[in-house]
Amino acid sequence: MKTLESAPPEAPPNRAAAAGGKSRGGPGSARRQRARTGWAYTGPTLFVVGAVTIFPILFSVVLSFTSVRMTYDGFRIESFTTGNYAALLQSAEWREALLFTVFYTVVTVFAELVLGTLAALILERLGAGRGWIMALLLVPWSLITVVSAQLWGYIYDASYGLATWFFDAVLGHAPVILGTPSSAVGGMMIADIWKTTPFVAIIVLSGLVMLDRDVFEAAEIDGLGAWSTFWRVTLPQLRPVIGIAVLFRILQAFGIFDLPFVLTQGGPGTATQSLAILGYKTLFQNLNMGPGAAIATSTALLVLVCCLLFLRAFRSQVSEGELR
Amino acid sequence: MTLSRRSLLAGTLAGAATTALAGCGSANTNPVAGQSTAIPEKPTTITWWCHRLTDRRNRDLAPLMIDAFERRHPTVKVRLLRSPSDTDTNRTTLTTQIASGSPTPDVYLGDVVWPGQFAHNSLALPLDQFVPKDYWKRYPAALIEACSGEGGVHAFPFFIDQSFLFYRRDLLDKHGLRVPRSWEELADSAARVRDSGDVASGFVWQGSVYEGLTVNFTEFLADAGGSVLGPDGSAVTVAGDAGERALTYLRDLVATGVSPSAVTTYIEQDSLDAFLNGSSLFLRNWAYAWAAANAEGAKTAGRVGVVPRPGFEGRDGAHSGLGGWSAFINPHTEKLGASLAFARFLAGDGGQEALLRESSYIPALSAALDSPLARRLNSPVIDNARKLELVPRPSSTPYYPKVSKALYTRANSAIGGSASVRASLSAMETEVRSALKGAVL
Repeated sequence: MKTLESAPPEAPPNRAAAAGGKSRGGPGSARRQRARTGWAYTGPTLFVVGAVTIFPILFSVVLSFTSVRMTYDGFRIESFTTGNYAALLQSAEWREALLFTVFYTVVTVFAELVLGTLAALILERLGAGRGWIMALLLVPWSLITVVSAQLWGYIYDASYGLATWFFDAVLGHAPVILGTPSSAVGGMMIADIWKTTPFVAIIVLSGLVMLDRDVFEAAEIDGLGAWSTFWRVTLPQLRPVIGIAVLFRILQAFGIFDLPFVLTQGGPGTATQSLAILGYKTLFQNLNMGPGAAIATSTALLVLVCCLLFLRAFRSQVSEGELR
Repeated sequence: MTLSRRSLLAGTLAGAATTALAGCGSANTNPVAGQSTAIPEKPTTITWWCHRLTDRRNRDLAPLMIDAFERRHPTVKVRLLRSPSDTDTNRTTLTTQIASGSPTPDVYLGDVVWPGQFAHNSLALPLDQFVPKDYWKRYPAALIEACSGEGGVHAFPFFIDQSFLFYRRDLLDKHGLRVPRSWEELADSAARVRDSGDVASGFVWQGSVYEGLTVNFTEFLADAGGSVLGPDGSAVTVAGDAGERALTYLRDLVATGVSPSAVTTYIEQDSLDAFLNGSSLFLRNWAYAWAAANAEGAKTAGRVGVVPRPGFEGRDGAHSGLGGWSAFINPHTEKLGASLAFARFLAGDGGQEALLRESSYIPALSAALDSPLARRLNSPVIDNARKLELVPRPSSTPYYPKVSKALYTRANSAIGGSASVRASLSAMETEVRSALKGAVL
């Protein structure tokens, strides 16, 4: 994060230009010239980013505080209000969606972390076949979610699905996987874990291969067993990498949309209605701009807070680990 | 030249605020003011947004309609824009496009439940100003009601869709059963044939979490003598005795295994597949299933019968959900005259005759159903079309999607058994009531 913030190429000449702002000619003007060139080059990018990313985000924040009506001349903001957020907090549907999203995020991220780390540990021991196995592992991750969701849809299909057939053969009765709340949620989690565990595995593996070998040798000399080595040596050193993986996963899982959109449309009932699905339905199906924007804004805010809290907790742990 | 992050942010914020304020205060003026309503004399091209419709030979119907129109009006060319086949995606794409002020498409084919919401959100042109007062009388009243929203009628009816009960004639004959005259009889017959092992399930319909379940539920509700809203359109009456009878029946179908429990995930195609591959005795579906069931190569070809949906014992039957598609005009069209001509053609004598001749859709124009051509077709679907009592969904409210969602999510829970019938009905009632008030969440 830090490096990113100080990275923009225009920063050094910029600062220099500010420092030598009063002097005319000489190195100052050359620097200004360079800064100008820099701005000229980055200008189009900044404009596009501003127009397609920053402006829409800010506009949706503004919309979330308004009562909007669509007219022939476009959006008409009838009044500014905090009522959208009040409605959100009072809505049982929003609370259900929040609960589902949080529950879904916690379970899938945890499972992916455990399985991904296990996979990474195995991959690290592999010799010749590692490249092949890694390529195979990445297949689920490289599939577009809508496509993989369709595939899982076939597996879970209540009439001819593979999973349905399997359960029918083993249990003697065919469950309706996507038609019952608990199994629909579970099925969706499995589809997510199947798809994103490889991502976590690759990130953790990249951390594993960078670890300092000397520490492991020292641990061996000190007579530490494999189990203790993992918990006391490997894991603490992997924390920054795991932190990144978890952060990415929280961000993604919290915004889950495509899986329920393809698999269940939020059903059965409202059992798999995530915040993103609720926001989509409110905004684009019910055409309630204000409340829809409020759902989007609050979701973004919630995930931001979650990530910041996680980072803070993790950072202190990391430094503790380093101190030891 | 020193453009800091802060000034960038301030600039963007100011931009956002200006846009927000610019939106304030402008009136909802007539978007087509000053445009001629006459058919243009100079060559004009308009665009028509239409999903894939099929003719009798399973070819695309839209080009045939366009040809028929262009022959009558040589100055107007119609360019076809293919819309997504999924209704909700179709609507989302359209609303985004029209709300942003795009003049394309000029004319779009839209679902019969859209007008209430589209009128409220200025996504369709009000049409009463362009046609004589008695123009709409030529269509079924329930259909025109469905085409209306704030400010009158907003769509020219193109075709209607009706639901029927399809049955396996061969299997009923084999077991010495008659075509059921009530839902209770249907459940008994279905259970008998299923127990014999001739079919895996008795009766399939659409119970997934989507608009189709709203249709199924409102049909059974009408069968039981109820309705979602009272006659004045504001009282919510869904949770009465009729609601309980309807929902209990549907739930029992699943609980007793007459319908497979997978029916709670079925949309039209799933139920049709189950019927076509021979695993179900009865099917509730739209009219198009008749052609599909008798298509060459279908297992069921020549073995299927179709009747109006029965009713509950002691009550009238023959209710059919009102479905169908209509031609809307984009309020931002820059070719009003040509667009009106095309939309009116689709709804008028010429278009309706072409529709009847080329496809198996049911014409919206009442007169077309009585025409000699209609009689010559000898189709049980067309012959029955006028006998059915159409059950509209409460779609004239601008908040219809929310109303429908309350119906289908709660009905789905009750049918699947994860909530009781009573609890589901009372939740339905609460949610429909708050939706009608405009409560958005």
